[in-house]
Amino acid sequence: MALTRTPSDAPDTVIRRKSSWSSSAVPAQAALIFVLLLLWELASYYLYNPFWGSRPSMIAERLWELAVSGHLWMHTSTTLQEAGAGLLLAALLGVPAGIGLARAPRLARLLDPVIMGLYGLPRVALAPLFILWFGIGLFSKIMMSFTMVLFIFILNVMEGIRTIDQDQLDLMKSMRAGRLYVVWTVLLPAIVPWILASFRIGVGLALIGAVVGELIGSNRGLGWYVESSGGQLDTTGVFSGLVVLMILAMVANYLIGFIERKIIKWR
Amino acid sequence: MALMTSQREAKTGPVVAPAYASPPRAELKGLRISFPLPDMSMLEVISGISMSVAEGEFVAVVGPSGSGKSTILRALCGLLKPSGGEVTVDGKPVSGPPPGVGFMFQKDALLPWRTVAGNIRIGAELGSVPADQHEARIASLIKLLRLEGFENAWPRQLSGGMRQRVSLGRLLAYQPSLMLMDEPFGALDYQTKIAMGRELLSVWEAERRSIIFVTHDIEEAVTLADRVVVFSARPARIIADYKVDIPRPRHLRAMRSDPVFTQLTEAIWSDLAMPS
Ligand SMILES: Nc1ncnc2c1ncn2[C@@H]1O[C@H](COP(=O)(O)OP(=O)(O)OP(=O)(O)O)[C@@H](O)[C@H]1O
Ligand SMILES: [Mg+2]
Repeated sequence: MALTRTPSDAPDTVIRRKSSWSSSAVPAQAALIFVLLLLWELASYYLYNPFWGSRPSMIAERLWELAVSGHLWMHTSTTLQEAGAGLLLAALLGVPAGIGLARAPRLARLLDPVIMGLYGLPRVALAPLFILWFGIGLFSKIMMSFTMVLFIFILNVMEGIRTIDQDQLDLMKSMRAGRLYVVWTVLLPAIVPWILASFRIGVGLALIGAVVGELIGSNRGLGWYVESSGGQLDTTGVFSGLVVLMILAMVANYLIGFIERKIIKWR
Repeated sequence: MALMTSQREAKTGPVVAPAYASPPRAELKGLRISFPLPDMSMLEVISGISMSVAEGEFVAVVGPSGSGKSTILRALCGLLKPSGGEVTVDGKPVSGPPPGVGFMFQKDALLPWRTVAGNIRIGAELGSVPADQHEARIASLIKLLRLEGFENAWPRQLSGGMRQRVSLGRLLAYQPSLMLMDEPFGALDYQTKIAMGRELLSVWEAERRSIIFVTHDIEEAVTLADRVVVFSARPARIIADYKVDIPRPRHLRAMRSDPVFTQLTEAIWSDLAMPS
């Protein structure tokens, strides 16, 4: 749960983080990663036994073997499908739910303890139950990802609507704008940044959901690969799985940042 | 004060007389407005105001900050329910926003995700202008408001004064027959203010809409309006209602040396300086 940010600061985060992906920063970022990998490699020769912490060159070799044998794609695509489906499902249900709750403040107040209770629940702990209910296939992991992300969408969208300038709504009202017109010109544009911020936060959480599900019960996926490597005391395997997960999160983050800059030009 | 008011109103009329014969465009009768305070008591903001605005008349409202000028405009366009008295527009009691009433807010309330042209287009889309004339209307307003070259700029890229001009453009695009303007030129420098005032007058003289124009600038009120209504501090009452006997078309700079102008601004100054 360390990845959760408070929903209220999400759009700010969007603005500030934009710059970290701007093209001018990329060479410096790449250089930093390279230096860190080099330090790790050197440390594995001089400071510790690679049995405990592996080393980048061994991980690269393993990833190459996995790629050639086709296992890399099988595990990656499995995890991607689970996390992606969970994320989309959460957006599909969370956005309308957030809009609905924001428009029905009384219902929102009634449901508030329930929502905050479920949101505060360490949903990772639900994994064994979900395996029991939904089996060891894709569906239980999709449900894990979904429950991890759903509240991010609901709470972000509600907050986005809450921050709409009342004057803008009054102005629309004074010109007798219809309900649909207001939704289309004020409400939706106002929450788009919050939805994109939810995707950004949600990618990491959806991956966590899928991986946790795989750790508990499955026969494929990156989480399963990490788990089974760990069981065989194969640290290189563990790190290989983690590296792929990290790259997935980074690529997804980059894609969302790209979409943000394309869609939200007005910021 | 009431005596003085009637004396001034008795003075012979201006060259361009508003059509007093037709029914008032907007009317307030004994309007009272209170707001609940956090401690459950009521804050009386407007305590019994009656005034009317004739067809095609330009009325300026001046008064101390916090006296309830914005509140009155909100009541007139149905955004706020009065706690007593009557509000009518075109003879009908106001319950929701009446048709043909445009409100230019004190804050510009531009949509940050719409360009300059896009924000002005909102007025056109919601107004009575036929769709095939929107583009021409928007283009002419952009020219009128000196926003050429900024059609596709986002609101965040504009200065405060430019934002106010976009907000005025949106109001004009709506083509309201009653314009409620809340300190529309508050963020403008002196030159632009004069220029915008001139444009507003030319639009108004061409199309004869009714205007209620709230301002803190006494000289601006006198240069632009047919009548200047002076509000007291909260709870607001009308302490004076002056007719501005300066012929139109007015020359906004030259008229500042007109004795009627200096007399009137002096009188309003002393009204506002009075403890009330
Ligand atoms: N929604 C509200 N709830 C409570 N009090 C309000 C509300 N709106 C306005 N007021 C109070 O009513 C009074 C008048 O407000 P209003 O905005 O009409 O003043 P104003 O004459 O327009 O002032 P200014 O010249 O500074 O714009 C203020 O004291 C304000 O605190
Ligand atoms: Mg005001």
